[in-house]
Amino acid sequence: MIEDLVVGLAGSGGDGVVSAGESLLAAASSQGFYAMMTKSFGSQIRGGESSCRVRLSTRKVLNPGGVLDVAVALNWEDFRRFGAELPIGPGTVLIHEAKAGPPPADLAPSGRMPREVIGVPLAELAKASAGTDRAKTTIVLGVLSGWFGVPQEALDRGLQKKFAQKGEGLLEANRKALARGISFAAEHPLAAPRALARPEASAPKLLCDGNEMCASAAIFSGCEFFGGYPITPSTEVMQILSRELPRYGGVVLQAEDEISGVGATVGASFAGKKSMTATSGPGMSLKTEMLGLASIAELPLVLLNVQRGGPSTGMPTKPEQADLFQAAFSAHGDVLRPVLAPSSVEDTFRLTVEAFNLAEKYQTPVVILSDQEIAQRKETVDPIDVSRFEVLERLRPTSEQLTGGYQRFAETPSGVSPLSHPGMQGGNYLAAGIEHDVKGAPTASGATHAAMNTKRFRKLAPLQERSDLFERQGPPDAPIALVSWGSSAGVAREAFALARARRLPVKLLIPSLLYPVAEPVYRAFFASVRAGLVLELSHQGQLYRVLRMFVDVPPGVTSFARSGAQPFRADELLERLEQQAEALR
Amino acid sequence: MNAFLAPNDYKSPLKPIWCPGCGDYGVLQALYRALSAVGRPPHEIAFISGIGCSSRIPGYTTAYGFNTLHGRALPIAQGVKLANPDLLVIVAGGDGDGFSIGGGHVPHVIRRNVDLTYLVMDNQVYGLTKGQLSPTSPRGLKTVTSPMGSLEQPINPLLTVLAYGAGFVAQATPADMPGMTALIEEAIRYPGFSFVNIQSPCITFGEEDQQLKAHKARMKPLASLGHDPANQLAALDLARAYGTELYTGVFYRNPSPPPTYDALVRQRQVELQKGEPRSRSRVLDGYLKA
Repeated sequence: MIEDLVVGLAGSGGDGVVSAGESLLAAASSQGFYAMMTKSFGSQIRGGESSCRVRLSTRKVLNPGGVLDVAVALNWEDFRRFGAELPIGPGTVLIHEAKAGPPPADLAPSGRMPREVIGVPLAELAKASAGTDRAKTTIVLGVLSGWFGVPQEALDRGLQKKFAQKGEGLLEANRKALARGISFAAEHPLAAPRALARPEASAPKLLCDGNEMCASAAIFSGCEFFGGYPITPSTEVMQILSRELPRYGGVVLQAEDEISGVGATVGASFAGKKSMTATSGPGMSLKTEMLGLASIAELPLVLLNVQRGGPSTGMPTKPEQADLFQAAFSAHGDVLRPVLAPSSVEDTFRLTVEAFNLAEKYQTPVVILSDQEIAQRKETVDPIDVSRFEVLERLRPTSEQLTGGYQRFAETPSGVSPLSHPGMQGGNYLAAGIEHDVKGAPTASGATHAAMNTKRFRKLAPLQERSDLFERQGPPDAPIALVSWGSSAGVAREAFALARARRLPVKLLIPSLLYPVAEPVYRAFFASVRAGLVLELSHQGQLYRVLRMFVDVPPGVTSFARSGAQPFRADELLERLEQQAEALR
Repeated sequence: MNAFLAPNDYKSPLKPIWCPGCGDYGVLQALYRALSAVGRPPHEIAFISGIGCSSRIPGYTTAYGFNTLHGRALPIAQGVKLANPDLLVIVAGGDGDGFSIGGGHVPHVIRRNVDLTYLVMDNQVYGLTKGQLSPTSPRGLKTVTSPMGSLEQPINPLLTVLAYGAGFVAQATPADMPGMTALIEEAIRYPGFSFVNIQSPCITFGEEDQQLKAHKARMKPLASLGHDPANQLAALDLARAYGTELYTGVFYRNPSPPPTYDALVRQRQVELQKGEPRSRSRVLDGYLKA
């Protein structure tokens, strides 16, 4: 029995491999498995190549997995396009459409081809059983069920749901195809049989992706306004809020451009509402000026940037972690803007709530740096007890302050000044992008400017102490550090667990707060460290470089970084950690 | 409802940075009077502007002001109005702010018909940066960035705004203070997006024929021409003369104003919130798979 199964499927756009992956995901999650599914496409709107990868496990799934346990190729050309996204190795069971012929000899980049390669006449079996070769992905589900123990009853229930609206005939045909796939598997047993263990408990789980989690957390946090412009891969957040927010009394504005989207968000925040916008790299570039305005006018605002491959249009449908510099530093003038990064779908809920809290508490724009993988991968999540989350509101002036010469930017020990909004009598003030004195009156005084900069930085100083925004695992005195963030953190967690199982002296650090760099946290973490890796999916290794700006990173700690769309694998990471441990011996 | 508010109740203690003789002083005075006539207390007014000489105007009032970014007053004002439709939202800026850097926002606020009043102080030149070409500068104008004379045709604010479908379009000049005051008041009272192009002379960089004295001689009140403001085609025809004739008054006023965007948004919210109120803490329930 195996406890973990990683399946990758690839075909052309019309083949329905993603739909098959969704069926697999739904079936597994309904049986109490933990599961995760990532999708990957060419950039075509319709057609082109498409693929998905589904990981099923009896334990919590930390990442989409490395080398595939099972690869399904409907044709070789499309399969090959996904390269490192669907890696195969000697242990992979490679299933392919029989009429596509045997796999090309150079299919495995490592040169190590799977030992078990099975041609299944998918179209032929589909035609014979269901009367149409369109049911070939249902044949795939059948063989997966037969060979790997994906429960047939759950797949069957999935078919019922999927085809309920499409007529009895289609449902019956697909049921026949499922049965035929299962019988084919029985007729052709695997040389090395393997089947999934059944999960112990089957408590209900949430099934959603990072964008759904973010939109839900925004609603939970009391968001009342969203302004934005469609952009892959963040658009789903606007789509969900367009449907849901008005039901809670909120407003969504699909603006004419990215600038207007964030502009309306700034306006709504000025008017007293919790406000949010969402975008990806190109949109973030356009929104930058408005973030500077929110910083100097001290207005709360949450901005979600779902990172994709860049620069410029880059690779809109692929993940990358190369927008950290932009999130932290894209501003003229002295600006400190908090940047948070969720490291899983579940984590997206917590950090979106945190982003709203920081924005409201410190009257500042806050950036959530998600990425295409987390935003669009669907996974099972244990139910979240939302009552453990505190929801903060902005500091508003008291009635005494409103009747006694209200000062919008009053000097306070914390640097946070009570914030009024239009409609509040006595709170009238001038907000501005221009430097201002405590009352909001424009100024060109160097002394006032310095005092205001000090105030705007002082209010964010408590972030230095937020060690709760860092996940630490492993022995505190371990000499090897593994640091990662965002979607790569899921791989780091798995590699860390493997390393600990091999008794390597490693500890793990996953920062949720990327910027400002919480120096005391890193100082304490790095104190025992002599070697290590900072793992991230970007050419430059941006977190590594940001850390070196602010912290004395031990010289033995190096960057392990590569460009997007080539996700890390736990096994390669483990190998590196072993090398480091060896070197320390 | 409210005690009488005098024009001075809308006047802030800040002293304008404008040059002596700037047309914007007149606009400010007319605005105080119009706001007094409308009677909304200053804390219920949000006055949003962009960047430029004229965009300093919110700070000279006692309303909630927001002196935003160059060209971005309209997006921010829409966010304010949609977040709180009960506010009176006024937007102001110059011709460069509204029709050059911010020109992309104008058609969209108009097609949405958000209930804002947009006052453009059009002086056909960039004043704050000291005398460069603006989108409404006449062809041939010599400025520091067009030393041999401009080769560009100016944009026609009246014609474009009318063509985008605005429900209220007027033009004013500080050379006629009672007329300008009345137009601003009427624009504020119009239920929907309203636009007033104010020919506000730049005393420092403006042309001789754009000054108040010339305005007084040239201006032609549309009412005196027998123009019917309900006639959109006639308004378009008259607007073509921007740059040659100085017509003042209402070019177009939609006789049956359609519902505003903000009103429709609110109506939909009310419809969707009928029945049991939704609990924000149950937002994840829909993702639970048994």
